[in-house]
Amino acid sequence: MNFLKFITKKIYLFIFSFFLSFGFITTSYAIDITIWDLSGRNGQDEFYDNLNKEYKKINPDVNIILQTFENEAYKTQIQVALNGNDGPDVFFNWFGEDSARLARAGLALDITPYANVEGGYGNYISEGLSNTTAVNGKIYGVPNTSVSKYFHYDPAFFEANSLAVPKTFDDLLNLCRDIRAIDSSIVPWPLGNSERWKLNHVITMLNQRVVGEENTAADYNLSASEDELFTNPAYVEAWQKVVDLQDAGCFQDAPNATHPDLTRSMFASQISPMIYCGTWCGGIFDSEGFSDFSYFRFPEVVGGAGAGTVGFLVPSGMMVSAKTAHPEIAAHVASFMVSDDMALQAAELMGFMPSNPTKIGEMSNPTHWFNFYVNDIADKTGHVNVLDVLLEANVSNAYLDMGTEILNRTKTPQEAMDFIRQVALEAKAAM
Amino acid sequence: MNKNNTQINSFSLSNDKVSVTILLVPALIFCTIFIFIPAIGTIVGSFYSYSLTSMNNWKWVGFGNYVKATQDEYFWVALKNNFIIVFASIVLQVGVGTILAAILDRGIKYGRVIFRTIIFTPMVISSVAVSLIWLIIYDPNVGILNAIVKSIGLSTPSKGWLGDPNISIWMIMITAAWQNTGFMMVLILAGLQGVSKEVYDAAEIDGATGVKAFWYITLPMIRNVLIVAILITTIGAFKVFEFIFVFTQGGPSNATQVLGTYIYLQAFNLLHMGYANALSVILLIIALFLGWLQLKSSRKA
Repeated sequence: MNFLKFITKKIYLFIFSFFLSFGFITTSYAIDITIWDLSGRNGQDEFYDNLNKEYKKINPDVNIILQTFENEAYKTQIQVALNGNDGPDVFFNWFGEDSARLARAGLALDITPYANVEGGYGNYISEGLSNTTAVNGKIYGVPNTSVSKYFHYDPAFFEANSLAVPKTFDDLLNLCRDIRAIDSSIVPWPLGNSERWKLNHVITMLNQRVVGEENTAADYNLSASEDELFTNPAYVEAWQKVVDLQDAGCFQDAPNATHPDLTRSMFASQISPMIYCGTWCGGIFDSEGFSDFSYFRFPEVVGGAGAGTVGFLVPSGMMVSAKTAHPEIAAHVASFMVSDDMALQAAELMGFMPSNPTKIGEMSNPTHWFNFYVNDIADKTGHVNVLDVLLEANVSNAYLDMGTEILNRTKTPQEAMDFIRQVALEAKAAM
Repeated sequence: MNKNNTQINSFSLSNDKVSVTILLVPALIFCTIFIFIPAIGTIVGSFYSYSLTSMNNWKWVGFGNYVKATQDEYFWVALKNNFIIVFASIVLQVGVGTILAAILDRGIKYGRVIFRTIIFTPMVISSVAVSLIWLIIYDPNVGILNAIVKSIGLSTPSKGWLGDPNISIWMIMITAAWQNTGFMMVLILAGLQGVSKEVYDAAEIDGATGVKAFWYITLPMIRNVLIVAILITTIGAFKVFEFIFVFTQGGPSNATQVLGTYIYLQAFNLLHMGYANALSVILLIIALFLGWLQLKSSRKA
């Protein structure tokens, strides 16, 4: 009997404490905004800590929670998460077909109404930049940076061996041959294509230089007629340029078995004198102990249909989940990330090419590569998005696969394009 | 008295039934949530065309996804690779495991525990960690395997150990064998230790020693254990995913694609969720058949 009394008392005590704690929780009600981003960016933790602190100044009830993911894994996980009920409120994405697909599927929130409210992204970034995220005239993202790619090279090596920066594609081939002639064991341009995207970035530029962006547009968005889709012979010529690079000894043996990180280290440790790498690479080379590098653009192809002043540019930034419980706050947080002060912090801490350049002049000690990237991107006459972001998923995968086949010489450029055309025709039929 | 006994018996019998039912309920709930519902969902989904980002737009295609599989070149490549892995795993893991177990059982007198521990150790490391370690070993630029091969005057594959479509699947098999052979060895060793010493003594009198005893005495005596080991290996080989995903993601040019990675590619990269479901159902049928075989043979064992 005493035991029963004891148990009953304990149950009452538990119920009382439960409601007491519930009351406590409800009185200090806070909103969690979860942000998903890629991992591995220098200064990322500090940036998000500051973002949380700064945002609390204007909205003390909001906690910003960061979750980060490795690049390749993220591409899958974000799709799964957005379909579930425990996904992020705000999430990173590259703007292109990937982001447009999420918008069309109703998984990303239309944030057009939040553009010009107080603190809205429309106050910070240009309309042109916002429109890179548009689908059917509605805005689905807030670009906070853009990535581009350049050849990074070791000027000391070039100077010591009287090598010149190549202006044309043929110069680039000759440069590779000259470097091999100096020492055949030196890999002029290490290419780590084990994840397939490295060569995809190269063929993106070669297609632009050889085929020309005006000629590729209808093929890339599959609007060309079935008779014409990917039939331009210049596509084959572009793949042939990859073969030419390989024949000129530019790459190391086995690029398909080499991880991209290793090739970055080969350049950073000055084993190789140049590398085609993104605007995120400068900080990585620096963190690995090499900062005396310089840069040049992807050379123009003489006789090609595309201008040499056009560059590679992938805008990226934040989207808002259509399932967020707090759409207004989530859109406001995404906008706050490109506010003047936060854009400056993103540039200083993470090396971002900020979409809001208002305070770019206030940067303390910008690195030489940062200055180069910012100025050169502004100087370019046009930009092309990368194929693995731009193309329909099946066509994109075909391009990625054919890159591997071309490097392995298991398919000729013509066979590669025949395969891509076939996949594109199937994708067009399924639309 | 008899009537009372019958009442008590029937009461306890019905009590037992209630207890059994109550005890089964949690397991049934978990099985329903985590196995039956997803399995039924997969089967239903295999008759539709939809993607991960168009979950509300399912299009009925009947057996279209299954027909597509029969015409899909890479599906057959993946299935063929699964069978290659089954064959290679049996030879490398069960075969080498048996030899190692025999050596540890009767071949050496000292250090059995140390050798057993060393050989078993890779088994306790996660497959992803093992793959990452071996990625460095196989690297064509800084990997130790290239250095060893070159140091003995041989040439290394120009496309790399994992970049050459003709050899990459075999390199992955070697790693899988390195990790799993220890487990097979322990399993078979347990079987060997169940063989009576007197049988060997009797065989020795008849002139059967060494390899002869192993062939005519040991192998027949552990036949059932070997069958279980082969079935475990076969099922594992059909479910393989991590090794391929970390090493090559099915490349180069789909040369190392297996059903697991191909399903992943179709579902999450190419956005053909319905087709991925159909492939999963095919894999499920194969796994169920193998599971049935395993159950049957383990009962015998």
